Amino acid sequence: MTARVRMAENGAQLVSRLEGRPSLRDIEPNIFPVDSGPRQGDVVEFHGMEGAGKTETLYHLIIRCIMPVQNGGLEVGVVFIDTDYHFDMLRLVSALEGRLAEDLKESDGSENEPEERVRSCLRRLSVVHCNSSVQLLLTLHYLENTFSSQPSVGLLVIDSISAFYWVDRFSGGESTVCQEANLRKCTELLDRLRRNYGIVVFATTHAIMRNYGSDPGVSDVPCSSSSSLLSSSHRWRSAESATDFDKPYLCRAWQRIVTHRMLFTKSPVSKDHKQVFSTACTSIMTKGVKRCSFHVMEDGIKFVCDK
Amino acid sequence: MVILREGICPGINEDFIKALQSEDIRTVEDFVSFNPEELAQKCSLSYKALVAVRRVLLAQCTAFPVSAADLYEELLSSTAILSTGSPSLDKLLDSGLYTGEITELIGSPGSGKTQVCFSVAVNMSHQLKQTVFYIDTRGGVCANRLLQMLQTSTPDMEEQMEALKKIKVFRVFDVFSLLACLQNLRSNGLQKASVGGGSVKALMVDSVSAVLSSMLGGKQNEGMSLMMQVAGEMKMIAKDFNIAVLVTNHVTKDGNGHLKAGLGQSWSHVPRTRVLLQRVENAETPSLRTATLTKSSRQACRLVEEFDLCHWSEERSTSISAKRKLESSKP
Amino acid sequence: MHRTVPSLPLAPSVKVKLINAGFQVASDLIDMRPLQLCKEAGISQEEAVEVLQMLRDDAQPHQQRAATESLTALDLLHHEQTLGSIVTFCSGLDNALGGGVPVGKTTEICGAPGVGKTQLCIQLAVDVQIPVCFGGLGGKALYVDTEGSFLVQRVSDMAEAAVQHCTLLAEDTEQKQALEELTVEKILSNLFLVRCHDYVELLAEVYLLPDFLSEHPEVRLIVIDSIAFPFRHDFEDLSQRTRLLNGLAQQLIQLATQHSLAVVLTNQMTTRVSNGQSKLVPALGESWGHAATQRLILHWEGLRRLASLYKSPSQMEATIQYQITVQGFRDAPDEPRLASSSGNYSKRPRMEDLS
Repeated sequence: MTARVRMAENGAQLVSRLEGRPSLRDIEPNIFPVDSGPRQGDVVEFHGMEGAGKTETLYHLIIRCIMPVQNGGLEVGVVFIDTDYHFDMLRLVSALEGRLAEDLKESDGSENEPEERVRSCLRRLSVVHCNSSVQLLLTLHYLENTFSSQPSVGLLVIDSISAFYWVDRFSGGESTVCQEANLRKCTELLDRLRRNYGIVVFATTHAIMRNYGSDPGVSDVPCSSSSSLLSSSHRWRSAESATDFDKPYLCRAWQRIVTHRMLFTKSPVSKDHKQVFSTACTSIMTKGVKRCSFHVMEDGIKFVCDK
Repeated sequence: MVILREGICPGINEDFIKALQSEDIRTVEDFVSFNPEELAQKCSLSYKALVAVRRVLLAQCTAFPVSAADLYEELLSSTAILSTGSPSLDKLLDSGLYTGEITELIGSPGSGKTQVCFSVAVNMSHQLKQTVFYIDTRGGVCANRLLQMLQTSTPDMEEQMEALKKIKVFRVFDVFSLLACLQNLRSNGLQKASVGGGSVKALMVDSVSAVLSSMLGGKQNEGMSLMMQVAGEMKMIAKDFNIAVLVTNHVTKDGNGHLKAGLGQSWSHVPRTRVLLQRVENAETPSLRTATLTKSSRQACRLVEEFDLCHWSEERSTSISAKRKLESSKP
Repeated sequence: MHRTVPSLPLAPSVKVKLINAGFQVASDLIDMRPLQLCKEAGISQEEAVEVLQMLRDDAQPHQQRAATESLTALDLLHHEQTLGSIVTFCSGLDNALGGGVPVGKTTEICGAPGVGKTQLCIQLAVDVQIPVCFGGLGGKALYVDTEGSFLVQRVSDMAEAAVQHCTLLAEDTEQKQALEELTVEKILSNLFLVRCHDYVELLAEVYLLPDFLSEHPEVRLIVIDSIAFPFRHDFEDLSQRTRLLNGLAQQLIQLATQHSLAVVLTNQMTTRVSNGQSKLVPALGESWGHAATQRLILHWEGLRRLASLYKSPSQMEATIQYQITVQGFRDAPDEPRLASSSGNYSKRPRMEDLS
């Protein structure tokens, strides 16, 4: 497959590949393990229940990408595929404004209108909505062109990759192969995109399958589930977490390309009425779990320092 | 799966399809995943034609990325926050229902979900002069009560009738009819309604659990699939037409005896904002309710407000407003 | 209309085959011939015919109306005013309900054994027949008895009382003429009785009701006494019970709306312990509580019988006192002077059990 792509490569694409994509390694040392931030071609899965802070964390990371270098950003182009129809632009902007204002306090901040600064950041982000797994697949094909022609784009966000799980499961009938066909094709394509263009992929998966001890295939509704996932779930055993909804349920092809997995949990409300969110990040490169906690504030997430 | 058929796009004829089928390429997905150069050699088709067809097919079937800067620009002008007519609920929702989002009301039987829907409908049709779509799946719509609510806010009969005309009620009692209703709204109903004067800003579904809960469970996946289809249709309506969608749902108890939204984990991701309605136990006025914010991306969760179902429509409301940014009302 | 194939009301297995043959929307299918479809999708010819038939029905305007054509609330208001409601002969309860048990809605009556649920149901089955000139509906009633508690003697007692009541009221010739028609026999003959022994029979009966109602368009009331009895036993799988009950509730609401009739269901009470206190709550679980449009709870307070309107889309919550006499369901002798008390419906030993 790689050979075929090379064949079709033109000069500009070759240069962009050789020049390399912007690095996201230092995107957020609070979240990723030391020296194990997402390298080119890494795939990070954000997994958690509703309201556990996945989206907030995504926005935090996207903002870091699209902010200019002089404000502590990475100036990396981002493509956001919204399959859940859940993207909240106003929320992203209010967090972005918060971050820019923070920075403004430090510098003299007279050079640019804040409004214009927001806009110039947003120009690095493009958003696309998909309403079926077929459309997701075709859109990924379409985006291949974007990635090959725009070397500044370094991050692809899919929120969420599990959106069409139930619809596809029904449409596939009895056969698991059919049920997973579209997602598997998407995954194969993602694999090619990350290998050939060094794109980093962030994808969220909704926690909807319950772990009942040793019983693998039980979801929150009494449905039978494919059991082929058990083996892959072993890979993430080290990230034991407070929730019993951490069971990976997407097709095995997807489990295989994931390099980092972040589990999101929400603690019960504490005395000071501040909700504490936590993530546990594991990667296949390093042993151990990187944990962190944060609050969600008006202007984005604030990390809680360890005592 | 999109099958390659004659006439699906210019340049695809019978021979073209036959040539591709010889390589076992039947769907658009298969076709675009092949490299045109390779395909030209294998199927002895013109490289130029293949590239052209590929480009057209992708253009037809994919969703296009939009720059966030443009999207933001558009949102600033089109996003509206619709007052619910109750100051306490508006406070909870950060000034009202946001267009483009799904807001969910959950609660036990008799907790006031339908009453809140009524009052939102009345407030929008009367105060904001907007058309409201009300999908009733429980047979709970009671025009007489809507009239009562209107009477407390205006003595003018004419105005009351005008407001009632702006509330369009659909009565569907099973999930297939609900899907038919939503798909019809999406494909032409909403445009049609806005042509006839007054834009549509709100859609209510009271309740989603009524038609969905009899489909869930058992060995079939169909129920889950139908549920996610309902969710998808509502989300598309909310986003594409910039409409505030308000749904009601029942509650179940989690392991610790806390109330949570019904319909399970997969559904729980669907609404952006969720409000739990509860009776106030042993209150002197039986119509007293509390509303608790249990999910929001704007406000701190667990905010609680109290309100009285009786006095609902006596409170005067604020008007529709386009909001540039979020208020910093949080401590 | 833009319908997607997965959203169509077809058998799941047929839908899967259609989807995998590449059919995405209804318009891909509608112009096909049955043979062509059965070849392309790999379904049987009968299935293909059925699919196409369903699509054609779906495209018919009268079939679509419910889903695609809205009523304005104003239309609905006029419609509601023509529907009216069934009086209970207990003015307190009628007031609380806004004129009686509403037609076009479903009403659930919950209560402990002997508190008067069946009495109220029989009363409604008689009262629904009061002629229009007396302010009634002049309708017929269908009574589905699942407990075997229906007593013909009680019907004839109440019917006689109702006839007497109307006789006292009769003034003009129209009313006098109507009175000649209104006899106990007539009332009994306009009351259709169905006995269901288990939930399967009940589900089958409800499934067949649309046909029955088309043949008997003058039926304005369906009573199911009780919904709880067949569903409280013989269920190992509670989630299946919930599903069946939810489906049943939706069917009944549909009947009430489409055939303009009142549906009255009775339900038993069950004990629930919360915070160390035991409390009587309606049976069949919390999700069933959403099923009926209105919920009325009959309960004891000492020796007094009380009816509390617990949920209603149109009326405020209220508690009133009633009594059960030989004539039927009536106002309590002295005016109730009650603080509304919702919450704990204490169960009292059955002392004056009439049924």
